Amino acid sequence: MSIHLHQLAAALYLLAGLVAWTGMALRSARLERGSVWLLAGAALAHLGAFATLHSLEPPPPLTDLPAAVSFMACAGTIFFLAMLRRLRLDGLTVLVAPAAFVGAFFAALQLPEAEPAVVAGSGSWPHAHVLLASMGLAFLGVSGMAGMLFLAEHRRIKAKRPIDAGFPLPTLEALDLANRVSLAVGFPLLTLGVIAGMIWVQKSQGVVWSGSVHEIWSVIAWTVYAVLAGARFGASQGSRQAAASAVGGFAFLCFAVIGVGLLT
Amino acid sequence: MRIVLLGMNHRTAPLDLRERLAVDDPAPVLQKLVACDEIDEAVLISTCNRVEVVVVTRSYDAARLRLRSIFARELASDSIEVSTSELDACLYEHVDGDAMRHVLRVASSLDSMVVGEPQILGQTKDACRVATECGAAGPILGRLFQHAFATAKRVRSETRIAERPVSVARVAVDLARQIFENLADKQALLIGAGEMIELALESLRKHGLESIRVANRTPERAQELAARFGATAHGLDGLTELIAEVDVVLISIGGDDPILTVELLERALASRWGRPLFVIDIGVPRNADPAINELDPVYLYDIDDLASLARKNADERQREGVLAESIIEEQHQRFEGWLTALRAIPTIKHLRERVESIRVDELERALRRIPLDDDQREAVEALTKSIVNKILHAPVSKLRREAEHEEGIVYLEAARALFGLDDETSDEE
Repeated sequence: MSIHLHQLAAALYLLAGLVAWTGMALRSARLERGSVWLLAGAALAHLGAFATLHSLEPPPPLTDLPAAVSFMACAGTIFFLAMLRRLRLDGLTVLVAPAAFVGAFFAALQLPEAEPAVVAGSGSWPHAHVLLASMGLAFLGVSGMAGMLFLAEHRRIKAKRPIDAGFPLPTLEALDLANRVSLAVGFPLLTLGVIAGMIWVQKSQGVVWSGSVHEIWSVIAWTVYAVLAGARFGASQGSRQAAASAVGGFAFLCFAVIGVGLLT
Repeated sequence: MRIVLLGMNHRTAPLDLRERLAVDDPAPVLQKLVACDEIDEAVLISTCNRVEVVVVTRSYDAARLRLRSIFARELASDSIEVSTSELDACLYEHVDGDAMRHVLRVASSLDSMVVGEPQILGQTKDACRVATECGAAGPILGRLFQHAFATAKRVRSETRIAERPVSVARVAVDLARQIFENLADKQALLIGAGEMIELALESLRKHGLESIRVANRTPERAQELAARFGATAHGLDGLTELIAEVDVVLISIGGDDPILTVELLERALASRWGRPLFVIDIGVPRNADPAINELDPVYLYDIDDLASLARKNADERQREGVLAESIIEEQHQRFEGWLTALRAIPTIKHLRERVESIRVDELERALRRIPLDDDQREAVEALTKSIVNKILHAPVSKLRREAEHEEGIVYLEAARALFGLDDETSDEE
C-alpha cells in the first residue's frame, strides 16, 4: 500500500512540475494555480504513504536513505504549501515540484528492497533523529530553491528585461522572506536532529561519537547550516548574498546527505 | 432591416470637436431618434475619445440623413451647428456587418487610443443601459451589445491584450510590485517635482503606498508638495538618512550632476540590512548615477528604461490584437447567424398556423360525423396535436438551423413553396 501511495505521490509531483513549467512557458496563471493544487494532492498522497508505513508494527524508523529522502521531499513540500498561505510563492512550484518528485521517485524505486535498519534498544531516538534532521534539511532545500528563483528574478530586474505578467513569479521580497523563514525554522530542527542522533549513538553503542562517515558528514552539514544562519541573522547579510549562500548550502547538503549516503 | 453606425473618434476628430459633441445624458437624443419613423432602435456611445450612434432602421437613406442632422445640430453642446465640411472630415459610417464588427471592437477595447484599456467596456455598458432604460434599445441592439460584452470578456480572458502596462507610471508600479510583496507597508521618497514623477507617485498610491516623504532644494516647494500628497517635507541635506529609511525613491530634480551617487547610496545602504531599494529616475539629465544599479539591493530605472518597457508592452498588445481580431470575427459570425436566423421566424410561424388551421378544420369536420363524449374528444384533440407537432418538429428544427447561414434561404423558399405560404409571409417579411 505504502509503495503504491509513494508511486502516486511521485506521479502527482511530476504532473505538478510539468503543469507548472507549461504554465510558465504559456504564461498561464491558471496553470500555475493548477500546479499548486496538484502539489497539494501529491503531498497528501505522500503523507498517506508515511501514515501507512507507520501503521506497521513495529513502525520502521525511516533510517534508510530512500525513506529519509522521501520524508524530506514530503516535509519540504508541506512546509512550502504552509508558506503559500502567507506569501505569494506559487511560482516557486516550478522548482519545488520537480525536487519533490525526485525524492518520492527515488523512494518508490528503492523502498521495496530497503532493509529495515537494526535499531534495537534505541527507543524513539532513531525516529526523532531522522524526522527532525530530515525536516531541517528539507527546509534548507526550500530556502535554496527560493534563493535560485531570487537570483533569477534579481538578474532579470537588474537587466531591465520586460515583466512577464502572464505568470506571476514571486516578488523578490517574498522570496527573501521564504529564504529567511526556512533558515530560521530549519536550523533549530537540524540542530535537534543532530542531538537526537548523538543520543541514539550513545544509547546503541555506548559512546557519543563513533567517528562514522555519517556522523562526520552530519556535523559538517550542521556547521554549514550554522554558518548560513549566522551570516543571515548575525552578520546582516544582504538578500542577494543570502540567496546565493542558500543555493550553495543546499547544493553542498545534497552532496553531504544523498551523495555520501549513496557512496557509503 | 439594417444596422447603421455613424460616429467620430480620437483618430478622425480633434479633441475640441469631440468635446463639443460629447453628450452627458444621451436619453433625450435617443428618444428623439426612436420617435422618427425610420429608426427602430438606437444606442449612443459618448466618451472622451468617441461619439457614436448606432441604429436599427428599415430605411437606410432616411436614417443616414437623420443621423447626420443629429451630429450637426442636436449633439453640439454650444448649440452652434457643426459645418458639413467639418463633419465630412470627421465622421465615419459603418453599415450592417461592419457596424456590428465595430461595436464588438469598441467594447473589446481594440479601437481605443490605448488598446486594451478597461474603461471602455464600462462606458459601453452604461450606453446600453441608458438606451434600454429609455426604450431606445430593442431586441436587435440589446442582443448586439450583450454579444459585444461577451466578446470583450473573451478577448480579455483569451488574449493578453490588457496584461502589460503601457504607461510609464504603470510600468513603474508593476516593477515595484515585482520587488515588494505589499506596497502598503512601504515608504516612498519624492525628490523634486514634475508631471511624470507625480503621475508615477499617484499610481503607486493607488496601489496601496501610503507613507510618503518629499525632499526639495527649496523648503517652500517641499512644503507645497508635501501638503498635496499628505507627506512630510525635508531638505536635501539629510538625504542619506532619508534614503536609509525608505523603499522607493522617485527623483526628478534639476541640475547637471547626479544627486544619487554611489557614495551616497553606499552610506545609506549601510544601515538598511540589505532591504531592496527601488529608484525611479525621471530627471533629464539623469539625477541618479547609473552605477548605483550595480549595488546589490538597488534597482534603478530611468525614464528611458521605463519608456522602453512601456513601448515593448505596447508592441506586445498590438501582437495580441491579431488574436483578438480573430475572436471578433468569430463572434461577429455568430451574431450574423443569429440575425440571419430571425428571417426564419415568420416562415415558421405561418407554417405552424397553416398546419394548425388544417388540423382544427379537419378535426371539426370529423367530429361532426362521429359522436364522441368529452373525454373522447379531448383524447382525439391531443392525438392530432401530437401528430402535427411530431411531423413539424424535424422541418422546423432544420429551418431554424439552416436559416443561420446565408445559403439557408433555399430552405425557407422551399418551405414556403411546399406549404403554399408565400402569400401569407410576404407581408410580414
